[in-house]
Amino acid sequence: MPLVSALAASHAPNILLEPGAEWEDFMRLHYSMAPQGSASRPTLEQQKKLRQDAETAFAALRADMEQANPEVLIVVANDQFVNFFWNNMPTFFVTVGDEVRGQFTRHKFHYRNHKELGKAIVRAGMDKGVDFSYGEYVELQHTQTVPLYFLLREPKLPILPIYVNTWVDPAPTPRRCYQVGELIREVADRARERVAILATGGLSHFPGSPRIGEIDESFDHKLLEVLRAGKGKSLIDYSVQDLLQAGDTEFLNWMVLLGATGDAKASYTSYMPDFVATGWGFASWKL
Amino acid sequence: MNESCFQRSLKDFEAVMGEYDLTTEEKEALRSGDPRKLRQLGVHGMLCLYLKRLDPDFRDNIYWKQK
Repeated sequence: MPLVSALAASHAPNILLEPGAEWEDFMRLHYSMAPQGSASRPTLEQQKKLRQDAETAFAALRADMEQANPEVLIVVANDQFVNFFWNNMPTFFVTVGDEVRGQFTRHKFHYRNHKELGKAIVRAGMDKGVDFSYGEYVELQHTQTVPLYFLLREPKLPILPIYVNTWVDPAPTPRRCYQVGELIREVADRARERVAILATGGLSHFPGSPRIGEIDESFDHKLLEVLRAGKGKSLIDYSVQDLLQAGDTEFLNWMVLLGATGDAKASYTSYMPDFVATGWGFASWKL
Repeated sequence: MNESCFQRSLKDFEAVMGEYDLTTEEKEALRSGDPRKLRQLGVHGMLCLYLKRLDPDFRDNIYWKQK
């Protein structure tokens, strides 16, 4: 069966934190890294509006995914020192265990992992010159669970977490991520099941950096415009440094998705800067 | 942050630092927990954030209840 649905969404923790005390606690920590970032601190009403807008965006993505009726969801995300550290920092990692679990505040997550599809991707990579790392045990983190909470709260489908190193220098180029996406598309198109793919992360943000609180909205809007035009391949000549300057290295996860969707145009995009750290971006492709 | 290393750091931070090949300047930066000093020494921004977990003011922060 072909790839039937593609989705992209931010995974910022505060999307899933409750407006009010939880947001305040989160912001207190983040602004301690760079106090000037608190200049545009959102009010409680703004926090509630952001949550509402994010839920609206996720509802649009979920409707598109459910209409496509997938049987497995590939989740392309980055690790943030939960599973990988400098002693072992894979550029691309495919999960080949039976199941995956994680927790976000009071929310617990447990999914069957589609290891057969994972192994097929690893094998296809060996044939095509992409030597994936792979392993049986990973712990899900907010980079997956925040979007999954809104898109697949009940584990009705198996998932397949694939990791991209978007955070630790040296990171893969946008071109390489796009190639990996093309490879995933080839495997998905040969799979027995209907396959959906979700890329998470971004858009512009600078966590842990003196630039925290800055959001490069114009760069983000340019990216979303490219997605709507179906011109994702035009981004392969960006350097990692270009993305880093805009706070958009997690867009490397989205580049994998763009390799899988090719010249298909995003049928839905939505964007909202959160006034804390991140430009929340959302997109969907009907394939 | 590795959970066992974190728990040991809460009990005896100096002893845990002693397990690693750190300069005096690096140890001072870690003691201060100041992200500006840590970043200047090459510490990844996200790790500067994670080191805040050692600060009593941030020990129970909501951020540590997710990963």
